Formats: sequence, structure tokens, C-alpha cells
Amino acid sequence: MATTSILGKYSPYNTILHRIDPRLKLFSLILLMVVVFLPFGNYTNRFMVLGVLALFIFILMLVGRVSFASFFKSLKAMWLMFIFLLIFMFFIPSEGKYPIHSFSNGYTLYYDGLLQVAHIMLRLILMIALTIVLTSTTTPMEITYSLEWFLAPLKLVRFPTQIVSLTISLALRFIPTLLNETNRIMNAQKSRGVDYNRGFLTSKIKSITTLIIPLLVSCFSRSDELAVAMEARGYNPYVKRSRYKTLKFRLRDLFSIIIVIIIAGGVIAFSVCSSNIEGFSDLINLLWGIKTI
Amino acid sequence: MNEEKIIEVKNLTFGYEKGERILDNVSFSISKGEYVTLIGHNGSGKSTLAKLLSFILTPDSGEIYIENQSLEEKSIDSIRNKIGIVFQNPDNQFIGSSVEDDIAFGLENRNIEQAKMKEIVKEYAKKVGMLEYIKKEPEELSGGQKQRVAIAGILALNLKIIIFDEATSMLDPEGVEEIRNLILEMKKEDKELTFISITHDIEEAYLSDRVIILNEGKIYKNDCPLKVFENEEEIKKIGLDIPFIMKITNKLKKDERFKDLNYDKIKNLKELSEIICQKLEA
Repeated sequence: MATTSILGKYSPYNTILHRIDPRLKLFSLILLMVVVFLPFGNYTNRFMVLGVLALFIFILMLVGRVSFASFFKSLKAMWLMFIFLLIFMFFIPSEGKYPIHSFSNGYTLYYDGLLQVAHIMLRLILMIALTIVLTSTTTPMEITYSLEWFLAPLKLVRFPTQIVSLTISLALRFIPTLLNETNRIMNAQKSRGVDYNRGFLTSKIKSITTLIIPLLVSCFSRSDELAVAMEARGYNPYVKRSRYKTLKFRLRDLFSIIIVIIIAGGVIAFSVCSSNIEGFSDLINLLWGIKTI
Repeated sequence: MNEEKIIEVKNLTFGYEKGERILDNVSFSISKGEYVTLIGHNGSGKSTLAKLLSFILTPDSGEIYIENQSLEEKSIDSIRNKIGIVFQNPDNQFIGSSVEDDIAFGLENRNIEQAKMKEIVKEYAKKVGMLEYIKKEPEELSGGQKQRVAIAGILALNLKIIIFDEATSMLDPEGVEEIRNLILEMKKEDKELTFISITHDIEEAYLSDRVIILNEGKIYKNDCPLKVFENEEEIKKIGLDIPFIMKITNKLKKDERFKDLNYDKIKNLKELSEIICQKLEA
């Protein structure tokens, strides 16, 4: 069974984005996510910067051969968010600078709300796009390894990073197995007359317990067997273990981190002085040194 | 066959709960390079014995010696470097996220350096015929393939004793055949390798050097397959069956015409039918 999730699925190509050090990708993801949520003054500035970032992310998606279908699929979950935002930021507020239409009873709709909704939506979409770029070009194992690397300083305070990373990788490895198991149990219970789809909430909860209890039991027996198998192969968490795979930082990684830092740095700098910049023309003037802050 | 004892079990007793006797005063020994099958009912203590031999469980009383070294807490590391188990469920012993990671797991535990590890992983993946699947994840593999990976993971550790704990019982007939052939190949390649197979498959037991039958925690029979399955009544009494080929040979032995044939070296039905044909022609 496919393990598709809202945050995308690894697609096994061999693009440059796949080959970049996963630690770098994880770091860039976090950096760019922060950048997307920086304040940029007025709306012209905001959309300008987000537009630049969107273009950059779009290029990343093309380079990394990210499936646009899966991207749009994960955007589907945003509908609810969009409707909520629309209600609370567009239909309910009664203040604003630029009115669209005033009804006879005094109720007025403003452009401000619409812009705000678009702005928030754009930020969230960019965030999802970034995450999908990461997950579709990086295997879960690579993400785990990089997490372990970032947690390495915690070793000083005796935090067991190796155990944590093995635990995560085992959890990831068993997701498809357990999904299969869930399906199997569901089918077995359906054949015995349990109906998971119909009925009121109470009967639905009751029928879910017929799924969850056998699943839990089998989980425990699985983990027991797994522990025995690991022990039989000589696993000892408190002894130094060598690594089959290690991460290497190469020249291309240096180039990519420079690109990311230039873009992020530019956006951060823009955000810092954005209170003094009014629109595109000011930015041009600023860059040419005509205007100083 | 080497007569040197590699495993010696003396008066072994074990129970999961107090007063329980899963294994009751069991003693036997296994020589280097032997292929021993351990058969018996569910709950006869077969799998428990495997766990005791690899020190996953500790015995209540009695002693186990692996290469004359007593099995105890302080010798555990050197014992783990001699003995390995392939378990029943192919999913629950697949630890790595891909074939190569799984084969490497035991090597990582033994702190083997990376470059050497890569070579070993490739070598053993090739040996079990999984080289082309080396990057695959477990859910893309069949049960038989997963079991082959588990075997590669154990073989890669260069152990002296390998235990199969019902390693083929969850596979389809094709998978069983694959694993059975792999065992025979392994045996051919490494004569020193001691091999213990815990199984329900009496046809496999017929192919082994020696059969140990456990019944209610005690050793019921311990001899070469021809002698163990000689008396059909005795085996049926404890609810087991004898191999199909033995059934035929036992019947043939009662027949005047085929009484004096040499049945000792027959490995399969084809060989048997050839011998019968020769006799009839003569």
C-alpha cells in the first residue's frame, strides 16, 4: 500500500536536489520557512517578496522533479483553512481602508481583508511547497540521519542521540507494515460483519475499537519479536557502533548553501528595512543608492 | 564430518513461569559442521531452546557450552559472535530501512569500519541473490526475499552456528524451496558451518544429518533421520508424521522382493523410483 501523506512522499529520482546533503536541506527548509513568515511592511512589499520566494521554490520543484500532482493534492486540505480565513478576515471585520462594496444596511466589505487572506494563504502554500520539496527529494532515513547530526551537541549532556535516531528509523520502517496490518484487520473484521462506514458516532467508535485492540496487541508482539531479533544480532545501545551510511559535505553542498543564504539573507535584510521602503520604486532607488535609510 | 563438539547442552531446564517446565532436563550435543533438525509440536520447547542457545533467555538450571565456553553473562559478546538466529516472521526481523541497511545492522553492532562493511554487504547480498534489490525497502520485497536478506545478515557476521527458528513456516511453497536450496548451498560452501533448523517440515528433517524430536520438554528421539523415522508407530504416538519417502521405504522393506535394497542413501523420490526400476528390470 502506498504511504502517501499530506507532506508528500519520496520520489526516487537522481536530481541534484536528491544528491545534496540532507542536513543542508533540512537547515535550508527551516531557514526558508522562517523567512516566509517575516514581516515586510505593506502589502506591495509582502507580495513582492513572497513572489520572489515562490519563484525560487517553483524552480526548486522543477529541478527536484517534484510531482505537482501530489503538491496540489496536499493543497486540497487547505480549503477549510481558506474558508475560515475568509469568514474571519473578510466577511466579519467592519474596518478597512479600501471598501469594495457597501450594502444598504451599512455592512461593508473591504479589500484589506481579501489581501490579508491571500497573504496568509500564500505563506502557508509556500511552506507546504517547501516541505514537499524536502520530503520528495530526501528519504526518511536521510532526514533521520540529519536530525541525529543536529542533535549531536546534546551528547554532551548524555542525551542518547543514537538510540533516538534508531527509534525514529524503526518507526518509519514500520509505518507501511502497520498500515498493511490495519488493512488486514479491517478486512477480517468486515468479513465478520463490522461496519466501519455507517452508523452513528457511538456505533462508529465501538466498531473502531474492534480495529484498535487487535492492532495494539499485534504491535506489542511485533516489537517484542523485533527486540529479540535485534538482540540476537548483537545490538547493544550503550556500545559504540559503526555506521553503514555517513553523510558527506561536498563542494556542491557549499554552492547550494551559499545560494540559500544569499536569498534568505536578502529577504531578511529587506524585512529589517522594509518599514522605510514603500513599494518597488523605493527599492530600486535604494539599490541605486539614491535613497538612504 | 568433524567429531569436535561445538554445542553441548547438559541437564537444561527452563520455564517461563515458576514451576513450569518448558524444557525438562534436556541433554544433547552437536558436532561441528552438522546439520541438525529439531522437530516437535507447538509448545514442545523448540523455539525456547533456540532462545536459550543464543542467550536471549537464561536457563533455570543446567549448562550450555559453545565451543567449550560456558554460556553466561560475561561470555555473551563472544557467544553472539558465534551463533545467529533467523526467525520466523520475515517482517519482524527486518531492522534496516533497506536491504543493504538490514544486512549491515549486525556489522554496525560489531563496529566494523565503513569501507569493509560495504564490501561485506555486497558480497553476501550477492550470495543470497539479492544484489539487484540492495536499495529496495522491505515492503517492496516478498516474504522469501526478506528471509533471504535476514539470512544474508546472519551469514555476513561469519558465525559458526546458525539457527533457523521456523524460518520457512510463513513462506509460500516457492519461498520454502528457495530457502531450502540456499541452506544446502551454504552447507556445501562451508563444511565447518553448524546448522540447526527448527521446523515443522518433516521432509526437510529427512534431508538433515540428524533429527532431534522434542516432546513435552523432553528429548523423544535423537538420531539420524533413517533411524528416527524407522518406527512409524512411535512417531505417530506423539502426533507427528514421518516423511513420505520413509513411508514408502518402510512398506517396501516388508515386501519380499524389495527387502534387501539399500535405502540409506536415497535423497528423494526420483532416486527411489530409479532403484525400484533397476530391481524390477534385474
